[in-house]
Amino acid sequence: MPGVTIKDLAKRYGDVGAVQGLSLTVEPGELVALLGPSGCGKTTTLRLVAGFLTPEGGEIWVGERCLSSSAGVVPPERRRMAMIFQSYALWPHMTVAQNVAYGLRFKRGLGRADREARVHEMLRVVQLGGYEGRYPGELSGGQQQRVAVARALVVEPEILLLDEPLSNLDANLREEMRFEIRRLHEEFAITTLYVTHDQAEAMVISDRIAVIEHGRVAQVGTADDVFLRPRTRFVAEFIGKTNLIEGVAESSDTLVCGRLRLRVGGGLVPGAAAAVSVRPHDIALAPAGGAPADALRGTVTRVSFLGDSVDYQVAVADSDVVLRVETPVGRRFRAGEAVALTIAPGVCVALGAEEGA
Amino acid sequence: MPRAGLDRALPVWVIAALVLVFLMALPLVWLAWLSVSSEGGATLANYRAVVADVALRRALWNTLVLAFWVGLASVAVGAPLAWLTARTDLPGKGLLRALVLASFVTPPFLGAFAWVMLAGPNAGLLNTLWRSWTGSEHALVNIFTMPGLVFVVTTYTFPYVYIMVVNTLALIASDLEEAAAILGAGRLTVALTVTLPMVLPALMSGFILAVLQALALFGSPAILALPAGFHTITTQIWSFFQYPPKVEQAAAFSLPLLLATALLLLVQKRVLGRRGYAAVGGKGGQRRPIALGAWRWPALAACGLVMACSIVLPYGILAKAALSRAWAQPLTWSNLTLANFTFTFVDYGATQAAIVNTLELGVATACVGAALVAVLAYVSNRRLVIGHQVVGFLALAPIVIPGVVLAVALFIAYTRPPFVLYGTLAILFVAYLTKEMPTGYAQSDATFRGIPADLEDAGRILGAGRLRILRDVTAPLARSGIIAAWCFIFIGVIRELSASIILFTPATKVMSVVIFDLKEEGQFGAIAVLGLTMLALTFGTVAIMQGLLGRDVLGARH
Repeated sequence: MPGVTIKDLAKRYGDVGAVQGLSLTVEPGELVALLGPSGCGKTTTLRLVAGFLTPEGGEIWVGERCLSSSAGVVPPERRRMAMIFQSYALWPHMTVAQNVAYGLRFKRGLGRADREARVHEMLRVVQLGGYEGRYPGELSGGQQQRVAVARALVVEPEILLLDEPLSNLDANLREEMRFEIRRLHEEFAITTLYVTHDQAEAMVISDRIAVIEHGRVAQVGTADDVFLRPRTRFVAEFIGKTNLIEGVAESSDTLVCGRLRLRVGGGLVPGAAAAVSVRPHDIALAPAGGAPADALRGTVTRVSFLGDSVDYQVAVADSDVVLRVETPVGRRFRAGEAVALTIAPGVCVALGAEEGA
Repeated sequence: MPRAGLDRALPVWVIAALVLVFLMALPLVWLAWLSVSSEGGATLANYRAVVADVALRRALWNTLVLAFWVGLASVAVGAPLAWLTARTDLPGKGLLRALVLASFVTPPFLGAFAWVMLAGPNAGLLNTLWRSWTGSEHALVNIFTMPGLVFVVTTYTFPYVYIMVVNTLALIASDLEEAAAILGAGRLTVALTVTLPMVLPALMSGFILAVLQALALFGSPAILALPAGFHTITTQIWSFFQYPPKVEQAAAFSLPLLLATALLLLVQKRVLGRRGYAAVGGKGGQRRPIALGAWRWPALAACGLVMACSIVLPYGILAKAALSRAWAQPLTWSNLTLANFTFTFVDYGATQAAIVNTLELGVATACVGAALVAVLAYVSNRRLVIGHQVVGFLALAPIVIPGVVLAVALFIAYTRPPFVLYGTLAILFVAYLTKEMPTGYAQSDATFRGIPADLEDAGRILGAGRLRILRDVTAPLARSGIIAAWCFIFIGVIRELSASIILFTPATKVMSVVIFDLKEEGQFGAIAVLGLTMLALTFGTVAIMQGLLGRDVLGARH
């Protein structure tokens, strides 16, 4: 089971650089999600890996096999990959069994009986046993999705590519299919690239997440890494809600923003401008009355009850910083009420400088 | 960047594109060159001769008058008919739509013949009836006049406006009109302030298409204007080819017509493209028919009158002429005969060969044409060659070339080395292939647009090469669309007159040319028989096509 190595990949559309020097390593058997906003180049990257597009520069390797470099490009049909499309791309003129069996036609030394047995077995795995003779047009969206999955897995590809496979499903089904795809990945352990713009989906499904920005990898790591330790402002803002506080580093662990002083876990360069990210649910609120004298104080300016939590907007006293705070349902504050805020040093993440920020 | 083994099918795409360029470029370059050539080198003398000649200037003027009035009349007939069949509770809408389709595929020159028999000043049926009812000495109507010509041409041109408008109306959701109604607008106000502005681009576009048809038409003016003693551009170009041929003048006279049609199509594109509300509504727009109330029956009567003029009366008189010894006499037992059929198919020398030629050309052009447009549409849809946009443009370009002009260009290009085709069926084949390319291409293009590239990519990533995918996935999905393109081309070929009339030789006559010859001999019975044969072929093909497409050929509805 080989992995995938992408080095300095580049692709332009006219004047627009869709992918600009993207590098990424996917370990054998690993599922990596390419996560980013629309237009960030994640789908282009996937289509470059599949061979539907020809890159202007860079290399794509699968294990020891070079698929794409300045010396030449291997066409998609010889890449030993499988892909699941956003539209499912099921052939309407073939039955479910014919769709699934199609890729097996190109496997040497596989008899008719073998093929049928494997198709049958795979349809059972995706819980579509008995649907062999149906046409795609006679299936629901979720069932079509399962056929697409079966068609891709039955050929036992070296690499599996998924392009926003769940975005055409309704919310309940989407959540169910997330776990289903994760289960299948654990069962087959195929090296997988998974394109999505949905961070929850990426977090549930993937081993690691590569956050893509402007055709480059902004950060790659586990869900914990990118959520708890975002390296750039883009990653911090794209993954989950956050408060960005900009100021000047007084020491390696203290950020000053007007009269607001924040204790940070570390990583600041003394004297330099810096930004830190604080998640709304990492800030605690208490009544102003009982707080110690040196506590951070503020005034609640907006309260929204969200059902399982309460969302506050708090103007920090003696500064123009406004923080979003999310607390469990329980002690409730009203708009206009004075509060004390507690921000533990460990929850403040210093963000590195980045281009364009 | 080398593309090792990227696309083994590349030569197919490139060759198809080159064939297209060759088909388009060779005749048009020759046409332009000959229009400015003389024995003493380049000259503008041919153009000067055209402009200086009073008779030629009159032909130009006649064409403008004809085209303008046909355009206007087609809008006046086609637009209300479209609204009535698309949006109201008019009875018999399905039948009306079918009759409009019939009028759309009826060869205009057959209609013109029929109207000669119906409204010729002396023996025309309507005039004979008028005389016998009123005892008058004079004719009621004379079809051999400019108004007569406008009337007959409009009868078979209004479907162009109808199609544009009815397809636009089908896209306008009722809630747009209801939004106006809820604000207090009456039915007429809604129609004038909401519906009409939204279909206005379609109306203008239909007007231009109708004008284009009238500009390019040869058959009807030849049948109706020549006896009346006036020329249009197309009949004038044709007469340049009567002995002694004046090819250079014909070329000089052709280019203005070519430029005019190109310009009009450009305007039409602008009109349709500027505001995208042909696509308004989209999904979810329900359409509820508007109640006509007391107006139902008068409206139906008006529609019936249009259809009588366009289909019922002409087809009736053709059938009568085919079955009677003397077409102008009443249809009694003694007048009834099948002699016209034996005369046409057995005794008259040219017919059998012409039918064989027509069918041969029809099948050959349709097969080669359908294959060619399929490849071209595929190349341009999947962007397989550099300059794929040019492919689409070139394939649609012949739409601006009137048949007569195309014939002049082909005559020039293929009567001299290196390609001497004149006098063979091959030159007719090239003419038909070029002329029918746009219709076939538009159909194929729509077909491939309906097949997402994902379906092909899904197969390739599983191990199938591009040609394999064409066979396993693309071809099965495109099959009915390509057969429909075949049918479109076939219908276009069997009714073609305006290019054939210039390119035929005694050995290469086709049905339409024989019909034209029979006119010179006054053989109306035989004309009717051949005309009905042509109609039967046409309607048979249309029926096959509609079955394949699962819809009628007028609209985009599935």
